[in-house]
Amino acid sequence: MRTVKEKIRALLSGREHRMVLALFAVVLMTVPLVAGPYGVIVMVDVGLYSIVTMGLILLMGFAGQISLGQGVFFGLGAYMSGIITTRCGLSPWLVLLVAAVAAGAVAIVVGRALVRLRGLIVAGVTLALNLVFCSLVVSLRDLTGGATGLPLIPRLPLGGFAPSNTLFSYYVVWIVAILLLVFSLNLVNSRTGRALKSVNLLAGGSEDTAQVLGVDIIRYKVQVFAVGAIYASIAGSLYAHYTGCIEPGAFGVHFSVLVAIMAIIGGMTSPWGAFLGAGLIVSVNEALREVMPAVVGGSTGAYELIAYGSILVATLLFLPQGLMSIWRRLQPQERFR
Amino acid sequence: MLDLSAILQFFISGVNLGCIYAAIGLGLFVVYGVTGVLNLAQGEFVMLGGMLTVAFYTAGTALVPSLLMAVIIAALVGAMLYRLIIYPARNSSGSTLVFLTLGFAFATEGIALSVWGWEFKSLPSFWGSPNIQLWGATIFGQTPWVVGTTLLLVIGLFFFFGHTIHGKALRACADEPLGARTVGISTDQMALFSFVLAASLGAVVGAVITPLTMTGYGVGMPLTIKGLLAALVGGINRAEGVILGGMALGMAEAISAGLMPSGYHGVIALGILIVVFLSRPRGLLVAPGKV
Amino acid sequence: MSEKGKQRDTEEQAILEIRDVSVAYDGLVAVNGVSFCVRRGDIIAIIGPNGAGKTTLLKLITGLLRPSGGEIWLKQQRVDRVAPHRIASLGVTQVFQDIQLFSNMSVVENVMAGCHVWTGASFLSTGLRLPHSRAEERNISDTALRKLSLVGLGQKAFYSPSSLSWGEQKRVGLARALAAGADLLLLDEPYGGLIAEEIGKLSQLLLELQHRGITILMVEQLTDVVLDIANQVVVLRYGEKIADGTAAEIQGNEQVIATYLGNGPLEGDER
Repeated sequence: MRTVKEKIRALLSGREHRMVLALFAVVLMTVPLVAGPYGVIVMVDVGLYSIVTMGLILLMGFAGQISLGQGVFFGLGAYMSGIITTRCGLSPWLVLLVAAVAAGAVAIVVGRALVRLRGLIVAGVTLALNLVFCSLVVSLRDLTGGATGLPLIPRLPLGGFAPSNTLFSYYVVWIVAILLLVFSLNLVNSRTGRALKSVNLLAGGSEDTAQVLGVDIIRYKVQVFAVGAIYASIAGSLYAHYTGCIEPGAFGVHFSVLVAIMAIIGGMTSPWGAFLGAGLIVSVNEALREVMPAVVGGSTGAYELIAYGSILVATLLFLPQGLMSIWRRLQPQERFR
Repeated sequence: MLDLSAILQFFISGVNLGCIYAAIGLGLFVVYGVTGVLNLAQGEFVMLGGMLTVAFYTAGTALVPSLLMAVIIAALVGAMLYRLIIYPARNSSGSTLVFLTLGFAFATEGIALSVWGWEFKSLPSFWGSPNIQLWGATIFGQTPWVVGTTLLLVIGLFFFFGHTIHGKALRACADEPLGARTVGISTDQMALFSFVLAASLGAVVGAVITPLTMTGYGVGMPLTIKGLLAALVGGINRAEGVILGGMALGMAEAISAGLMPSGYHGVIALGILIVVFLSRPRGLLVAPGKV
Repeated sequence: MSEKGKQRDTEEQAILEIRDVSVAYDGLVAVNGVSFCVRRGDIIAIIGPNGAGKTTLLKLITGLLRPSGGEIWLKQQRVDRVAPHRIASLGVTQVFQDIQLFSNMSVVENVMAGCHVWTGASFLSTGLRLPHSRAEERNISDTALRKLSLVGLGQKAFYSPSSLSWGEQKRVGLARALAAGADLLLLDEPYGGLIAEEIGKLSQLLLELQHRGITILMVEQLTDVVLDIANQVVVLRYGEKIADGTAAEIQGNEQVIATYLGNGPLEGDER
């Protein structure tokens, strides 16, 4: 009995994750010392994608709500940061927070309408919302710069400086990613996490049971939709300040599907899956860019699409629980998947 | 100001666009109705139909054989999608199947891009149909072909579902899969057939609209989304609903293109439809309150 | 005692009152004008053949279905238009016939999920692990473990629900409902699929819960077991109440005898 009790305590206090988390953080903080500038650039991408994917994992993997529209909130964050900082000269850090709150508010409104629909239909509607968002950005030329993009977005400042190097972005992105990972891990091993899992119709939840146990299913679904949007918005703001120039193509339907692919490949039963998924897809992407021009020449866009599509299909057919399930299978004493 | 010719012009382009979305929506409807799969690769068949027809036609084949070959190839691709990707995962959840069709859509887009490049491609109007002037409105030469094809497809589908043994079997699978199996209908074959049917439908539409809208490797996904929205607004469970939804989207686009500052019409039409759908999620054709 | 005082007394005793409740779906009347009262601290059994509307009745009480007519009063509050999660917060919970354990959680997490209703840490406070949330989580895990050992499954806390036997799953379901701290427990066929030895244990457990002040309303087909422990029995047939009383009274009721001994059950099965 005592051992069981201790184990639960360990799980609740996050002690189980603490060592792994510390190791993860240390490794990430030392990466720039070992990897060259190219490696750092790639890792910034991985970090940004991981943040958006983590939000989607909470939404899709835990609460069972499909979204193919995370690009909307990534774009909202990026454009709000870009527009407000270039026009009003407010502190980018402040704007990042304001944008995140605003994205969350938009998500609450949209989420309220979406939660009543069947899962498949939600997938279609979010995809349509993403299409509308991109056309809207193109249309609002005066505000967003239209299809050509919004340039000259300032860098994130540090004290009085505005460090312009990739290294600074690397640390900012990864510190945010780790903080959000801690938040997510806390969340999923708590009252909230259990409530989310109880409404997950994709993986073993039951809405009737959740309700008779007192879970306000609509409220939880809307809230987790907002949390996913906030993660995406934060990543979007960071992205805008990192690249300095944003254009609507970066927030399209393909972005949203790609994030979903990362979530599925990484494995949606744990926030950790986000890093596996984002890491794998970004690596594949980089490998294709290195190899394909040498082999066949020309643009690699086509091969990226083929690779993403095939990886998604292969994962769903042969490893439906994603890469995290391999890790789980390696732990023999664990009775619970 | 609005005069009769302007109204007529909106109406004509609305019907034209509406036919396109309705036809794509019908492709989604056939597969969804029979198998329960939301096939987000439907637009890719439209793309394939257009691109293949262009490829054969520019290689010197006559129009009709080009179109036929394009449809046959697309039908085979549809069969492959079912056999190799959907069938092995047929017992998975609906969301898994959606993602499988998305993966297929990505790969198809990639293959099209690598084979044909990123340039948009077009065809001349079928048999050089000239533009028609009617009370001050212009009807593009290809428009009658688009509308006519859609009409034929709709009539064909209704006849097929209502009067042929195959069509009735398909409907049985949609209504009562278990019952269908017990009376000896192979649900697997019917599912395969629905994918082939949807793929050929899409390919025909893709070929017919190419002279009007042009085609390119990336046109599939936006078309899927618009067709899906049209189907959802009208009610994806009924063919009449899908057609109504398609027409609604087409009209909304045509009217907003005429009345709104340029650049906004896509946003407004889709936006209106999303709002309409969210307020009537069961579809326009189903009385509110009825499940 | 005055007449008025007596009436208030019964009102206070009644934890749940069903007044002339009806519901129909797809044109089929599932429950038709049923009324009865549940006294605090009783074990009450609703019995009847298949299709009698027993399960529907439970869903009406927990708010998963809305009645088309009639009223449901719970602890002096009218609840027939109240959302299910709000009804749960009034101290009612239900164990379904098929248990519906959450297969995406371990056994102990399932029971911890049962504590949702009496805890209140918000999204933000659980994500940030604020002291309030941490204290609450400790409280939740202690409660969950206590309930699990009450049903004798303390050692299987980290098992996956799918690895348990049917009887064990039923016990987890019960522990989860108990963790909710409800004083009115609705059980849908709690004896269904249990082996003889488990049946005795369950009866013992239910009596112990009654002793602790929990009111139990159960729906059952295994009538003899139920008649042993129930203080009150309501018999339904085709959505209508045909008898209501103590076990002894029910056993003497002619209509009930006809339902169970005559061709009643067969008719019921057809339905």
